[in-house]
Amino acid sequence: MKEQTPVTRAEHTSVTPTDDKPTDEPAAAHVRLDAPSSTLRPVDGAPDGVIELRDLEVFYGDFRAVKDVTMGFGSKEITALIGPSGCGKSTVLRCLNRMNDLVPGARVQGRVAYHGVDIYEPEVDVIEVRRRIGMVFQKPNPFPKSIFDNVAYGPRVTGMKTDNMDEVVERALRGAALWDEVKDKLKQNAFGLSGGQQQRLCIARAIATSPEVILMDEPCSALDPIATAKIEDLMVELAATYTIIIVTHNMQQAARVSQRTGFFTAEADDMGHRTGRLVEFATTEHIFGNPTDSRTEAYITGRFG
Amino acid sequence: MTTATLTLDHGLRKGRRGTLGPSVFAFVLWACLALICAFLFFLLAVIVQKGIARFDLDLVTNQPSKIRPETAGVASALYGTLWVSALTAFIALPLGIAAAVYLEEYAQQNHWWNRMIELNIQNLAAVPTVIYGILVLAFVVRAPLSIGAVVLAGGIALALLILPVVIITTREALRAVPEEIRSGSLALGATLWQTTWRQVLPAAVPGIATGSILALSRAIGEAAPLILVGATTFVTFNPDGVLSRYTTLPVQIFNLVPQDRQEFRDLAYAAILLLILVLLAMNALAIWLRNRYQRRW
Repeated sequence: MKEQTPVTRAEHTSVTPTDDKPTDEPAAAHVRLDAPSSTLRPVDGAPDGVIELRDLEVFYGDFRAVKDVTMGFGSKEITALIGPSGCGKSTVLRCLNRMNDLVPGARVQGRVAYHGVDIYEPEVDVIEVRRRIGMVFQKPNPFPKSIFDNVAYGPRVTGMKTDNMDEVVERALRGAALWDEVKDKLKQNAFGLSGGQQQRLCIARAIATSPEVILMDEPCSALDPIATAKIEDLMVELAATYTIIIVTHNMQQAARVSQRTGFFTAEADDMGHRTGRLVEFATTEHIFGNPTDSRTEAYITGRFG
Repeated sequence: MTTATLTLDHGLRKGRRGTLGPSVFAFVLWACLALICAFLFFLLAVIVQKGIARFDLDLVTNQPSKIRPETAGVASALYGTLWVSALTAFIALPLGIAAAVYLEEYAQQNHWWNRMIELNIQNLAAVPTVIYGILVLAFVVRAPLSIGAVVLAGGIALALLILPVVIITTREALRAVPEEIRSGSLALGATLWQTTWRQVLPAAVPGIATGSILALSRAIGEAAPLILVGATTFVTFNPDGVLSRYTTLPVQIFNLVPQDRQEFRDLAYAAILLLILVLLAMNALAIWLRNRYQRRW
């Protein structure tokens, strides 16, 4: 964990896409994907794009991990990011609340706009970004504190004005469908909970700061099928209130819970460096029913990855 | 469906791999361990046997005496040791922990000066203890600070001596706190300071405490640097402040051993026994702390 210097970032290079294929839809004209699809969400002027990415590129030192990511995340929708290991989907997710700032040498180019505000602008308060865009990690990571203190931590450190912390904690735990299981042991250490309960506690912790967006980085990969099913049900419930973006290796999970899906893959360039890119972004129905790109089809049918 | 039956002669019989090499190796390991234990046990046995005679209340209540060694004690040395080690802890722990937090949580490894600081701390841990004594003698006891041969000078010398150890063990303890705790806290909008102060440091406290106690117990046993900074060998009053003259147990023992009368040597053995008991008690506390607060992540 190193000093939180903002990721250095190049000026908006006005590299005009040369490989843009002309399209009849003006709204989608700038969308640079290999295979333009009629189901692509237009980024500019999207009615409810909470977060929009334009030509996002992420570097770790000299290594370009991800390039050419242009997509938008709709309000109160679940968007799934899928693809083989090393395709950069987690990297993209961690750009959305600037968690990549913590990686020494990480650099972001392009635009990550939250309600039109580029969150990598120097004037942006990264603390406020992370309060509004919460995150749930792959492995349940409760703090070594009581259940109550785990949930109250976010509101406390961000200085949220709360009349009654008990209410905030109860509301968050109810929101994460955990209240009934823990209401009698709020003072107990969170490590006493099962893995699935711990992950729901982490979700409760994330929603306690009243975020608008919740990022989930393979939230079920460490859980058994029953706990996974509970989290999936919870995600669908939460989508009524929050915008959810989930990275998952589990394609069935993406198909079950999400409205939109982005498929990433990594391709080696002439030098042999593998760089992840967004191949196709469309409604989940389209991606799993009738994908436009042959690579997407190969992946979802299990022929690759 | 039938399965073929195997007999031991299908290669399952044990003993084909040779047992001589492994057993010789295991024996050598055990022999080394036994040698170390025997040596330690012998040392303890001799000290207990020779020291028990004078291990009485006089030892801790009476002051040293040049004329009546049979009832003399080491009270001034015991209190001197307590004063000096308390002062050592007071100086070394805040500095060492703060330095470790900087290196582990704040410093960016890609800057050359941070790597240089790290390298130098590793080197400091290997510097002979006498050097710290000379350093403090030259700059603190004498000009420019000129505070004289007092408790404060001893505390500074020992604090410098254990600082690298405190920094290194604190860094180990901080490194043992999982990265997920930090990212979990930061992702909720906590600042780096809040994350360090509310999550990382509390989680690392057992490790820091254990390391600090062990470092202190090393300082308590030191004689060489204290002799250089002027811990006097014959003091018949307890220190009454940080600017008081003093002696400590190791220095007192160093003084008693070469005396020609047997009573002085008996007193020395009793003082060694006392010192060993203090050190054992501190190490036991460190082990208890480590086991009591050990976390499974």
